[in-house]
Amino acid sequence: MSDVPKGVSAQAAAIAAPLVRRSRAEEDRDLVRAAQAGGEPAFEELIRRHQQRVFALVGGILHRREDVEDVAQQIFLKAFLSLKRFDQRSAFSTWLYKISINECWDYLRKKKVRPLVYESDLSEEQVSRLDGIVSNDRPPAGPDERAEARELLERLLEKLSEQDRQLLLLKEVEGFSVEELADILELNVNTVKVRLFRARGRIMEHYRKRVERA
Amino acid sequence: MNAEANSGACSEYEARLEDYLAGHLSGAESNAVADHLRRCGGCRAAVDKAATSVRLLRLMEPTPDPGPGFARIAMVRINQQLAAEEGKGFWQPFVALAWRFAATVAVVLALGLSYEAVRKHRTPVQTTVAQARLNDMRYMFSAEQDRVPSTRDDVLIMVAETKNGNH
Repeated sequence: MSDVPKGVSAQAAAIAAPLVRRSRAEEDRDLVRAAQAGGEPAFEELIRRHQQRVFALVGGILHRREDVEDVAQQIFLKAFLSLKRFDQRSAFSTWLYKISINECWDYLRKKKVRPLVYESDLSEEQVSRLDGIVSNDRPPAGPDERAEARELLERLLEKLSEQDRQLLLLKEVEGFSVEELADILELNVNTVKVRLFRARGRIMEHYRKRVERA
Repeated sequence: MNAEANSGACSEYEARLEDYLAGHLSGAESNAVADHLRRCGGCRAAVDKAATSVRLLRLMEPTPDPGPGFARIAMVRINQQLAAEEGKGFWQPFVALAWRFAATVAVVLALGLSYEAVRKHRTPVQTTVAQARLNDMRYMFSAEQDRVPSTRDDVLIMVAETKNGNH
């Protein structure tokens, strides 16, 4: 019982009590059943369990931190409203991630979000410093260096196609596995691997060009 | 070396190179890839680039966890939405009934008015024309048409006949 986080209701806690011995998917299944029967605390627990991954997914796709929370709330609202129709043939997480992907596409389409456009390029000195970090595989010295490195990376990512950018961010930054990405994007696992490998090559070409210019 | 894909690596090796990079290959598979890399410059360069991309992307920070308050906020929004829909749902049958009633009344009124308009405009015209035609026909086939008095004697004869009731 001590594993149950603070603030979890008695109903959700009852479901979560023997969770230590069961898989996460099994726990989700019980919580979904309870939520389908009208248990709001069970759904709240489902939100708590999946909010971090939903945020990561939305953040990886929208690439705009300021909109992530709003879209995430909308995702959980849609999930709640259609939960009665969810037949549990797939894992709850897979179902939720598909809702998330659709909501992100909707959001991008409605808002017609334009990619960030940078007016000026980084200085040669900044690029050299970044190359030093990447070549020597050492972490950035301080917050300024880290912010600088991120800024160049943002610019490099903007040069990629939407698909390449999302794959790289979801895999390398947000920590989704190839199998999860294949499931979410409804692609073959091998296709995801090939696309990822090619996207890596493309971002490095942009990077090398920028470093050579510097 | 096989046909190169746009990563610069052999196309049939690309998926395996991604696994190799992630360390997901078994010992034998990993050795086979390493063996291929010793012989293939394109794949070797592509793996080097991909490995650097991993280091580069590590500089980005993942989206932070929203914290324990998010689930509560999301549930509040869900309940607000449910309450709004419930409110709509209570009045929905009454609104639908009122619309149906209004539509029926409108149709009945339209039919009544158009019937009245047609009746008022068409009936008198038809009666007048029909009556005029009937009168014309009566005259055309009447005996008087053939007996128009042409002399003074004819007129006197006709007056006498009328008085005697022959006509």
